[in-house]
Amino acid sequence: MQTVYYIILVPMVYLAFGVFIVGIIARIAKIWREPPNPTPLLIHPVKKPGWLWTLTDTFLFPTVRRHKPVLWVFLMAFHICLLLLLIGHLELLADFALFQVIPHEIFLGNGFVGLILAICLLYFLFRRFVSPVKDLSVPEDYYLLILLFLVVIFGSEMDWARSWYEYGEMTVEDYRSYLLSLLVFKPELPYSTTFSGHSFMLILHVFFANLFLMFFPFSQLMHAILSLPMNKLRRG
Amino acid sequence: MDEKTRDDLLQLFRSKFNRAMRFYLESCTRCGTCTDACHVYASTGQTKYIAAYRHELIRRLYKRYFKARGHLWPSLGEARELTDATIEELYEAAYSCTGCRRCMVYCPFGIDTQMLMSIAKLLLIGKGAEPEILTLLADTSIEKGKSMELFKEGFLTGIKRLEAEVVKQWQTEAGEAAIPVDVEGADLLYVALAGAHSIIPAAAVFNAAGEKWTLSFFEAVNFGAFVGDPSKTKLILDRIVNEAKRLKVKEVCVCECGTAYRVMKYLSGSQPFKVTSITEAHARYLKEGRIRLDKTKFPGPITYHDPCQIARNAGVIDEARYIIGHLTDDFREMTTDARYNWCCGGGGGLVALGDETLDFRMKSSRVKVDQVKATGATILSTACENCHTQLSNLNDHYKMEVDVQFLSSMVARALVPA
Repeated sequence: MQTVYYIILVPMVYLAFGVFIVGIIARIAKIWREPPNPTPLLIHPVKKPGWLWTLTDTFLFPTVRRHKPVLWVFLMAFHICLLLLLIGHLELLADFALFQVIPHEIFLGNGFVGLILAICLLYFLFRRFVSPVKDLSVPEDYYLLILLFLVVIFGSEMDWARSWYEYGEMTVEDYRSYLLSLLVFKPELPYSTTFSGHSFMLILHVFFANLFLMFFPFSQLMHAILSLPMNKLRRG
Repeated sequence: MDEKTRDDLLQLFRSKFNRAMRFYLESCTRCGTCTDACHVYASTGQTKYIAAYRHELIRRLYKRYFKARGHLWPSLGEARELTDATIEELYEAAYSCTGCRRCMVYCPFGIDTQMLMSIAKLLLIGKGAEPEILTLLADTSIEKGKSMELFKEGFLTGIKRLEAEVVKQWQTEAGEAAIPVDVEGADLLYVALAGAHSIIPAAAVFNAAGEKWTLSFFEAVNFGAFVGDPSKTKLILDRIVNEAKRLKVKEVCVCECGTAYRVMKYLSGSQPFKVTSITEAHARYLKEGRIRLDKTKFPGPITYHDPCQIARNAGVIDEARYIIGHLTDDFREMTTDARYNWCCGGGGGLVALGDETLDFRMKSSRVKVDQVKATGATILSTACENCHTQLSNLNDHYKMEVDVQFLSSMVARALVPA
């Protein structure tokens, strides 16, 4: 069993990040090698400055707010929490003074970031069981939401145990030494990461996150990168 | 479908790839925000008319043949084989889409459904499954460009007859040709449609404004664009571009035809002339005081239907309002935001297909009728031939009891003699 744990926590993480980074670069390069569209694709009237409206469209989804307000609330909550989550994981690597502008304990959010994410993901998933979104959805839409939900739920459980139930066997220091060892390519697994009562949560969290990263470049998740240039085409 | 046909079709598919097309093919999340955008879905409630559903048909082929996933795990994205049945679905999707791009306003990423549908249209041509009449009309236009001499005589005789009409109604000054043709060094080349309604009122306004203009030998409409054939679109366009260069005009003014204007404006490339719509030209004459209009000519409230290809997709919006401001004090907007105007339901070649699509056009445009009725206007003006035909059909079918008018004709009729 320890071998399986090791494979998931070390080689598979490297593989996942490799596929993620190389995959994204390859996909973007392939798309950018295509010629630009011969005609402008603007929607009129064009509002100035175009770049500002492009940013607004990309990061605040005003059209969703206007047409699907409930979805918009969940979408905003979800994407903001994703950002916080990213910061939270960076802080598991090292202390960043920049992020401590608002002083907080690591992991930030006191467990609520993961909770909100999990609720949002359930909402996204359940709305896909109802027409007309049901009729538009394809299997990968469900798989991705389920996969992300699994990543979030196991990650959050570790956080909740520490933040809400004073579980102390796996500490931030343990995560930090594990992640740093990966970063400097001298992988080491602290005893607690594989032998404590919550090890299975870490292993499943990392396992599903690996799958998610590997699928990212080949799926609709590329909207995270392509949304900006696409909105630029519409806004000018 | 045999192997060879499929390979040929996939080759056509590949020919449509560019950066924007790849963006659109890669990133739809099927979030459903576009659900209410399409007038066909809003009028009929059938899922197959939702924008995302339409372009997912294209995306399923893309996933099957242009991504590794299509071989490894096709069911993941419901990747589809290209078969005769798929072709039928593509026909249904492409020829129920008017290319109005209203859904592009809704999409959080701005995915262009019209562009994705152009893949479907090209595959249909490759399979010989496109509406034959559109190809036939496109070929006729191209043929006319090749052998202009053959058509010239008949064209000029026809123009003479129309000139008499212009003189009778607007009394052009003696000695001037009411409809100048083939004038080298003219300032403006006017590209009309076949039909007196597109030439006579325009001539009256150009003459009243003292414009140095000349009428094009060719009609503006581009059937190549309707059927989605890029090479034919280009050939039809080039006839006019070449004529404009030969006559050394400074401006090519396109009549009230949405497709013709957008194609001319965006596909003619960098040229020594500028491209305008007749609406822009009329607004300019009014602004410069070159023509004056009589506000009492059209009593009753007027509303204006923004043709998608001229307004949302090419930006001529304020000019029409400016003109109408000189025609009435009672103008009724259909929507507070021009981007959200409903399509008339006749674009994308549907009106050109005539009675064949009439039933569908009437059923799919109920929301447009509601929008017109809500204005309470008695005159429904527009600046596009297709829109005019479709709105007139809607007027008859739904008994809207409005007077459907071309904006340019209204300008001509309200001209105050100098």
